Amino acid sequence: MEEHHTRSNIPLKPLYTPEDIKSLDYDTHLNEPGSYPYTRGRHARAGVGWIQRELSGEGDPERSNEQLKYLIAKGQTGIDVIADSPSNALLDPDHPMAINSIGTQGVSICCLQDFRELWKDLPLESITISNSIPAIFTVAALYILAKENNIPPENLRGSVIQAPFYGEDCGYATHMPFRLRLRLASDSIEFCAKVMPKFHSFVEDTYFFSEAGFDAVEEMAFGFIEIRHIVRDLLKRGVDIDSFAPRIAILVNCGMDFFEEIAKIRASRRLFARMMKEEFGAKDRRSLSAVFTCHTSGLSLTAQQPFNNIVRGSIQTLSLVLAGVQAIEISAFDEAYRTPSPESHLVGLRTQQVIDLETNVTKVVDPLGGSYYLESLTNDMEKRIWDMVMEIEAKGDPAELSDKGWFKQFIDDIMARYAKQIRDGDLPKVGLNCHQIPDEEDTLLKDVAETKIEPCWDRIEKIKDYKKSRNQDDIKKVLKACYHKAKIEDENLMDQIIRGMEMGATIGEMAGVMRMAYNFPYDPHGLMEPPI
Amino acid sequence: MEKIRVFMGMLGMDQHEVGAIAVSRMLRDAGMEVIYAGRFNMPPMIVKTSIEENVDVIGLSCHSWEYLYYMSELIELLKERGVEIPVIVGGSVITSGDIKKLKEMGVAAAFGASSSDQEIIETIKNIVPKRD
Repeated sequence: MEEHHTRSNIPLKPLYTPEDIKSLDYDTHLNEPGSYPYTRGRHARAGVGWIQRELSGEGDPERSNEQLKYLIAKGQTGIDVIADSPSNALLDPDHPMAINSIGTQGVSICCLQDFRELWKDLPLESITISNSIPAIFTVAALYILAKENNIPPENLRGSVIQAPFYGEDCGYATHMPFRLRLRLASDSIEFCAKVMPKFHSFVEDTYFFSEAGFDAVEEMAFGFIEIRHIVRDLLKRGVDIDSFAPRIAILVNCGMDFFEEIAKIRASRRLFARMMKEEFGAKDRRSLSAVFTCHTSGLSLTAQQPFNNIVRGSIQTLSLVLAGVQAIEISAFDEAYRTPSPESHLVGLRTQQVIDLETNVTKVVDPLGGSYYLESLTNDMEKRIWDMVMEIEAKGDPAELSDKGWFKQFIDDIMARYAKQIRDGDLPKVGLNCHQIPDEEDTLLKDVAETKIEPCWDRIEKIKDYKKSRNQDDIKKVLKACYHKAKIEDENLMDQIIRGMEMGATIGEMAGVMRMAYNFPYDPHGLMEPPI
Repeated sequence: MEKIRVFMGMLGMDQHEVGAIAVSRMLRDAGMEVIYAGRFNMPPMIVKTSIEENVDVIGLSCHSWEYLYYMSELIELLKERGVEIPVIVGGSVITSGDIKKLKEMGVAAAFGASSSDQEIIETIKNIVPKRD
């Protein structure tokens, strides 16, 4: 008989029966939704819904602000905004390396005025903004702008991604040493625990690195490694677990293995609850039930026959709704070519709305709970994820593994493995390695997908002029203070970064002087002189 | 016969490395030598490294549109230095329309999302003059 496996290589049987879950104890392993260990979901009741949003950010902050307003007008219930590649790499738009990528893959953002324009007229107090923009600077900007608008910071919602481990190797290199990357994460989380307690200052993003071709087990194992390391770092500082753990969210990927993706989320909820309670001593029930949000897999999409991607997005979204996640973004059908077009934004949003309003799947909480197959798969996933976490931690301090490049090597191998799976047809992709059609027939939606956005070159002069317009002595003074503060490792950098932003320093400048404090070059590419 | 030497890298801030790594391994498996420059390359550095490393072909993996703007600079620089190293680009963002434009610019070959390994290997072998 032919053997079948999930994407994570878990063997599949053609039929599951009560035999497969006989060790399952309802109260211990499942329990009611909204109760420990939260396998069946964070909320006790059905109909809580999820935040419906699509990834946005394009051009300068003003253009992105219009995009955000367009999406809200179309019924989007939250905001998800990403910075362009230079901004995420902590380079200002006037950096010579940034020239041809300003605003093409996200919003170009580098100073307080940019944040002011990006979030203009948005109800910061009531809408949640998920920011894929460098975390500590985003927190600082949000805090300052809340004060400007007479909004108490303790009312702010939304989130930032913390990625000290894998950002460097997977698309978000900042060229900072691991110690500084971890410090910036912990500093901002510690600050929010005290000052912005409703804000999710710690989103563990397993999406972007798993896009290298990770399977679901590897994705969650890497995610837990990072969560555990940051939690330990905060506990070492004396931060109370229940002051920050309620605001940990996990942003997962969702590929095409329908049941495995659901099992992954259910297993991870159980693992997270147990880890928080038994290992880290959390007591607040909100510390035990992580918020799960999701971005459907861009890697699962194809450049060929882009219309097939709409089908993929729908299937993935259905699995996420059945798993009971708190927010969803669908990777747009033109993902292989570009950041989302207005057309693909609308398709993504409408997909969510159709599932929400027309299918009735939202009316029952954890509707698949108790399925012999799904519960068996959830058990398998739980065990495999945890075994891998333990195996990696047994190799040594994850911080050292990161510095030694162990994770980088692992990720490179996965990229090569994924390419081979596609090449050999082990991972069928309709339109790519099976059911192909000639290019001349492959025209549907291609015009939308292939439309290009020009870099926002006028940002270069604008930011250069902005930098000149500031009081140079004040800027030098505040950057020097930032440098000296960064030298003292047990001090929190948040206050200094807030001060820097208020004074008009840019993200690129502050990141540069912090690199210098750790004996790294101000400009990792050696093209700009330090201002101090 | 000496192995074909291939420079492999990415341009500017393009950080989607999956393709660059996969193609590098594929070329190595096909018996070529890959000088892997990874991310964050600008045209002057690509030309300098390619000359110093005596490569037969410059391969660029593209997953952002930056290549559209860097390519003419790269081709010009190679001409200025008087070196005839063919430039090959590949990546899912490259459309058939782009391939036409790239070839007009002087790029030796360009591969979009549908290209097979065999196509890439054969093209490189045909473009590179035989080494003694």
